[in-house]
Amino acid sequence: MNPIEIKNVCKTYVRKRFLSFGKQDQTPVLQDVSLTLKDNQVLGLVGESGCGKTTLSKIILGLEKASSGHVIVDGKDVGSLSKAGFKKIRRFMQVVFQDPYSSLDPRMTVSQILSEPLDIHGLYKDKQTRRKVLEELVKSVGLSAEHLTRYPHEFSGGQRQRIAIARALALDPKILIADEPVSALDVSVQAQILNLLKEIKQKRRLSMLFVSHDFAVARFLCDEVAVMYKGRILEYAPSEELFSNPQHPYTEALFSAVPVPDPAHQKKRQALTLSSRPGMEGHPCPFAPRCAYACAACQTPPLLKEVRPGHFCACAALPFKTKKSSFAV
Amino acid sequence: MLQNRIFKRFAKNKTSLAGLLLVCFFALVALLAPLLAPADNARNPYQMPQSSYAIEPQTPSSSHWFGTTEQQYDLFYGVVWGTRLAFKIGITVTFFAFLIGLFVGAAAAYFGGKTDEIIMRLTDVVFAVPSLVLAMVIAAMLGPDIKNMMIALTAVAWPSYARLVRGDILSVKQRDFVTAARALGARGPRIMLRHILPNSIYPSVVVASLDIGYIVLTAASLSFLGLGAQPGTADWGQLIAMARNWVLGTSGNTLAYWHTVFIPGGAIFFFVLGWNLLGDAFRDILDPRQG
Repeated sequence: MNPIEIKNVCKTYVRKRFLSFGKQDQTPVLQDVSLTLKDNQVLGLVGESGCGKTTLSKIILGLEKASSGHVIVDGKDVGSLSKAGFKKIRRFMQVVFQDPYSSLDPRMTVSQILSEPLDIHGLYKDKQTRRKVLEELVKSVGLSAEHLTRYPHEFSGGQRQRIAIARALALDPKILIADEPVSALDVSVQAQILNLLKEIKQKRRLSMLFVSHDFAVARFLCDEVAVMYKGRILEYAPSEELFSNPQHPYTEALFSAVPVPDPAHQKKRQALTLSSRPGMEGHPCPFAPRCAYACAACQTPPLLKEVRPGHFCACAALPFKTKKSSFAV
Repeated sequence: MLQNRIFKRFAKNKTSLAGLLLVCFFALVALLAPLLAPADNARNPYQMPQSSYAIEPQTPSSSHWFGTTEQQYDLFYGVVWGTRLAFKIGITVTFFAFLIGLFVGAAAAYFGGKTDEIIMRLTDVVFAVPSLVLAMVIAAMLGPDIKNMMIALTAVAWPSYARLVRGDILSVKQRDFVTAARALGARGPRIMLRHILPNSIYPSVVVASLDIGYIVLTAASLSFLGLGAQPGTADWGQLIAMARNWVLGTSGNTLAYWHTVFIPGGAIFFFVLGWNLLGDAFRDILDPRQG
């Protein structure tokens, strides 16, 4: 059984305008998103700001409601669960946020922060057992027991993120949703946290949904990667396949912008610029206004099609697209 | 942890220590009032004793340590019991204003939408009128009496708390640790009590500690204007009101009756100063991010 299955999820934000007499502003954020997180795998969700990555993770966590579609966690449809039923699911699935400066309550000590999930779910009520559990928890994220009495402001960003990870692990979840867990950190600290996540994933047999806008980070950690644009999945493939053989024009352009660490190679590369093409606004493909390949062939709505084994891409122009060069990173 | 922070803060900053000492001194005077100035009339100790009905104030002497004011009310008695009354007024009014503001502000932030709009416009209305004028109107409508004056002061003071609490709750509500608590399965009341209120209440507590001094000052103004304590009541504002005719002294000696103004005036001055200095210290102590 797959830990998470997302089926045709749509989300539209509706805002009533002042004195509008029933008129509403509708902002579609997610359109027909389907994804599967497989057991003990890391699924990367990559895309630019505002493409709906975070909204999708919030819907999975039950913090937002999908407008339509189904989120199936551990075989149960989240939308049909009662409050008590959903609370059980929460033990199964936890989250780490982007900004460790805002995700920890500044008025609680580390031990209070880590106790909270246990209190809410009524676990380890005995004082000594609780103490032991907390100590093991902080040690598992690379901190020591003496840190328990301190406040979040006494820690660095990386250490705070470790605390946030420890809080997520307190309930011993099977799924971890990491919403850009390293993008607020220094690069050197990023590596430490990524290694920690990788280690935890292996030790605890976690499945992880990893939201990121950084391809290098996604490549390091993810088994599968989905590329999102304007609330849609444009490409979805096993990590190595995607990075060595990007199919969608958008993915290709993104890869071309990621610098490679070899200066000789980097000099030869050329970033694809996404120029805006007027007159494409009503196009069925959301990417058409910025796409260098948009043509008569892609006047049909792009659907995810399996272009190679396990590699899905939503581009109607794909068979006609002439590859300019390889931009694999 | 907290004790440590309090100690450090006062050791580091001498002005807040001065504030603490001032407030402690006044608190001691208020507590020991029955010993310092035994009341003749046990039923209403706030009524000052009169040694005679002579109009002219007497300068400090061994029988009247602070002298007497108009109509021979003993100033020492007035200042001592006035301290007790000042605490009573300051703390009661601030407490109720804080409580009302907390509930109203939390309700506005929690329900949002139209409720929020109506409540906040109501506070705007109160804000639009100068607070002393509004307090005067309410106190005059209810009739001159200490209890009515406290009601008037509360009615004027609560909106600033409501506004502060609402704004802080709205900003804290957006923070990730609240979302994280929801993701852990915490329910509304737990999130409100454990995460939102502790992170949004302290600015109001600091304002409250600064407000105690300000409330006492406003109460003194109302009493001075005859809208609060009645003549003969041991109230600092009332004592200054009774000194009104003697402020200028005699011809050639402006300071002939200095004690009638300076002694109750000094009491108000140091009381308000003490609370202001202490309020600053509170702000640093209640915020764990400060050293």
